[in-house]
Amino acid sequence: MSAENGAAQRVAIGISFGNSYSSIAFTTAEGKAQVIANEDGDRQIPSALSYVGGEELHGNSAKSQITRNPKNTVIYFRDFLGQEFKSIDPTPCHQSAHPVEHAGTIAFKIKDTEDETENIVTVADITTRHLKKLKNSASDYLGSQVNCAVITVPTNFADAQKEALKQAAKAAGLEVLQFIHEPTAAVLAYDARPEAEAGDKIVVVADLGGTRSDIAVIASRGGIYSILATVHDYEVSGSKLDQVLIEYFAKEFLKKNKSAADPREDARSLAKLKLECEQVKKALSIGSTGNFSVESLSDGIDFAGTINRTRYELLGSKLFSAFARLVTHAVAKAQLDPLDITEIILAGGNSHTPKVASAVGNAFPESTTILAPSTSPTAINPNELPVRGAAIQASLIQEFDLEDIEQSTHPMVTVTPHTTHAIGILCISGDEHTGKFQPIVDAETPLPVRKTALIATPREGGNVLIKLVEGARHIKVTKPQPKAKAEKDSDDEDDSDEDSDEEEELREKTWKVANVLSEAAIRGVKKGAKVEVQINVKEDLSVNCIFREAGSKTGVRGILPQGKANGSA
Amino acid sequence: PVLPEGWAGEKDFKPIGHLSHATDRNIEPVGPHFLAHARRKRHKRTFSEDDRI
Repeated sequence: MSAENGAAQRVAIGISFGNSYSSIAFTTAEGKAQVIANEDGDRQIPSALSYVGGEELHGNSAKSQITRNPKNTVIYFRDFLGQEFKSIDPTPCHQSAHPVEHAGTIAFKIKDTEDETENIVTVADITTRHLKKLKNSASDYLGSQVNCAVITVPTNFADAQKEALKQAAKAAGLEVLQFIHEPTAAVLAYDARPEAEAGDKIVVVADLGGTRSDIAVIASRGGIYSILATVHDYEVSGSKLDQVLIEYFAKEFLKKNKSAADPREDARSLAKLKLECEQVKKALSIGSTGNFSVESLSDGIDFAGTINRTRYELLGSKLFSAFARLVTHAVAKAQLDPLDITEIILAGGNSHTPKVASAVGNAFPESTTILAPSTSPTAINPNELPVRGAAIQASLIQEFDLEDIEQSTHPMVTVTPHTTHAIGILCISGDEHTGKFQPIVDAETPLPVRKTALIATPREGGNVLIKLVEGARHIKVTKPQPKAKAEKDSDDEDDSDEDSDEEEELREKTWKVANVLSEAAIRGVKKGAKVEVQINVKEDLSVNCIFREAGSKTGVRGILPQGKANGSA
Repeated sequence: PVLPEGWAGEKDFKPIGHLSHATDRNIEPVGPHFLAHARRKRHKRTFSEDDRI
């Protein structure tokens, strides 16, 4: 925490800046990330600004102005930052201040001062004001002036957008220590929990947000993350789920009030519907019924109604399955099989919806853990995942010099060769067809890597052959047998990530030997002893390995040089 | 597996193949393990050198 070189002391927070909601978090002295509530008591702070008679409203109070004061309310502006006017989709802003082109950038025409003149405020200025509010809320809570932050951005955020965000943050008095990707932040939020282990796993982060959905497939190898594939979709989103409820209640309203005007056709009525439907959707994530009530919805008629969860799930079923399809699509894009996926982290506010979790879960084998509030009691609030990750990263790097951070995030450091195949030991038999592959270093592991594993030896001991091979993962599809017992057979296999899927056909992960690397002999192994294998793979693809009987000091050492030719000894 | 009769190698080790090519990917500059990796890479240290410090 100490300030060096006379620089002002840093107080760093994590910020997740979304189109719909933003949040702020810090890391306590004990190293736990904690999300900060603003003055309104909200942890999910709507990314909204509204001006009433020169007064600036922010967060929820700004969002509610959409009904009364839509023209001077700015919301859903994050994705406009650093963009050209022609490349943006202004649809989400239909109900609030519309974006306009201004001097090569995007701006809003709003009455943001006391005198009733319209001012042109650029999206960068709007962002600055929004970040300033967030910063002030955090500063008030922490009791000291916050001056730097780690901000989360989507994986497809271009450099121009990052630069624009950096400048906007600077204008708000915030130094951006680092931009981190939203899905990575979510993984970090889970991995930073004390009970988590930095194992090797493939994680899918599925973020169902308000105006967009982002899916990322991430290989987590010893706590280092590599993004294998990403999918972005602007059609499947939380606002579409709101739309489902809007349609439902508008129809109910018209059924009961035959002569009234359609509330969807009046801007103000529609705004009221939209706000209330989002609330109903949130209620349906927690309870089994949601109550809808709006005063003077249309033609001065009040309307109250209820909807139960089953009906809502029926109405939204197309969207739920579309979201599940997005997730499986991302997995396919990473050239993986659902069986390869260890964990799915559901992020974004709409992940509270139990049906979202079950729809995604149904698309994956039972071995895949779904981390969502409705499927796992230990799940972290999906809204808070990115901001927690950002807060953790902020606490890790706040003592570093900016130069250090820049050098560390430079492609020289981050571009790393990753293994294409798993490297492991052939057990049971030296023959490639009857042997059993035990992976030690997984595929997609960044190099250099060092791994140690203990492997069993033949029961009687004696001289043992250790065969180091590369293994390729195959999906074995077995047609169901009439007296299906195939399931049990696969359970006996001792590979930890061996799974079976009980659908009509049985799919399982198997290994094939792709490439034999080396053989080594360990002589005179005791009965029941284990052999310790240590593999060191360098960045130049040379392999350094040590095999020894567990407990013994001496072992066999071998070096496999890089290169193509010169295969045999 | 049991060592077959007559197997021999120099110092009991016989290299046969090489690792197949690797793919270059970006690792995410996030988390404590990455920071350790960045430190090693910038100071050109290996794992065991890092352990000793």
